[in-house]
Amino acid sequence: MEFQELVGTRRSIRFFDPKRPVEQDKIQKILEAFLRASCAVNAHWLRAVVIKRDDIPKAELEKMKTPVQAVVIELAPVHIYLYADLGVVNRVQGARLKELYDANVVAASHGWSHKFVDEIVYPHLLKPMTGSPHYPVMAAFDCGVAACQGLLMAFELGLGACLTAFVAPVVNEIVKPPQDWLPLYALNIGYSLESREAGGQRPRPPFEEQYFLGQYGKPFPRDPKVVEQLQQSRLIQAAAPQPGRKEEIRRLARQLGLPE
Amino acid sequence: MTMQPLEEYESVRTWKSALSREWGGDPFAEDPAKLIALQQFCEFIGEDPDVIVGHCFRIRKSDGEHVISAKWRSFYAEKIKQFRDRDHQPEPRRSAAAVMGFLIHNGVMLQV
Repeated sequence: MEFQELVGTRRSIRFFDPKRPVEQDKIQKILEAFLRASCAVNAHWLRAVVIKRDDIPKAELEKMKTPVQAVVIELAPVHIYLYADLGVVNRVQGARLKELYDANVVAASHGWSHKFVDEIVYPHLLKPMTGSPHYPVMAAFDCGVAACQGLLMAFELGLGACLTAFVAPVVNEIVKPPQDWLPLYALNIGYSLESREAGGQRPRPPFEEQYFLGQYGKPFPRDPKVVEQLQQSRLIQAAAPQPGRKEEIRRLARQLGLPE
Repeated sequence: MTMQPLEEYESVRTWKSALSREWGGDPFAEDPAKLIALQQFCEFIGEDPDVIVGHCFRIRKSDGEHVISAKWRSFYAEKIKQFRDRDHQPEPRRSAAAVMGFLIHNGVMLQV
């Protein structure tokens, strides 16, 4: 699928085929997409633990459910639990930045040197940063960027996916993460039972209320010609509600034994 | 336990009007199994529909807001699972789904 169409076609899928497993190579491709994400200081905070739903003991799966994600985690055959590894910066101490230098990614042209990393960047910037109350937010932002790549990859591979919160104390009993991993979200994946349109693109706030030019309050001008181009490339698609969607939900609810 | 006819309970009327708004027609005439499931659930736990819904909400002391009682919601979620998993039920998932639908249309966000 072309990139713009892929972005436009992604939906949070909430009805998965519970009996159709996800191929191992597709799971790997999602993880590979995580790893290719843009990442500050090449730290790579995102850690992921893949768990196949059927490998979770029934009693544990019940404990992992909440009133807002129980159906999704029950139906999705694969859960990818996402964490931020908050300890990585102080473990690698700038080594991954120097790796970028050695790989000719960053260079003296932009002020970089091994000496700068060893004497300034790590001790005076990165190390203190890890003690800042904002540090988990920065790490989580990077993890979100990576998670989004995996999310889009799932759709590229013909899967459906939905990010949900997870009950960390219960999941951690299974995952057994190091103490400095911060629980983030679960990426639930599987084959969608919903139609490809899945009811159309979700309602979004007005563009002009979200994005600005120059300063807050001055909306970025939205060119209708660009909108038209994006409709043609299918980044912008027909918006929900779409005809037949209610019936689709009702049919799936009946098929899966869910409330109407 | 003695109960009024189910459709006389306010919570059942709320459920019915929500289904009717969504799908038109008379939902209980079209699918009587829904009401039967709720009746069986009420008998199963010994409470009437309005009591069940009433338990699911509370007034928060700090600000007087009307909020869902997580404790009672968990209690009923567990009871619905037990209800679903009883032996010799012809359509256990469908019956449990009907009970969940009753709570959901009364404002109790619930998945089990």
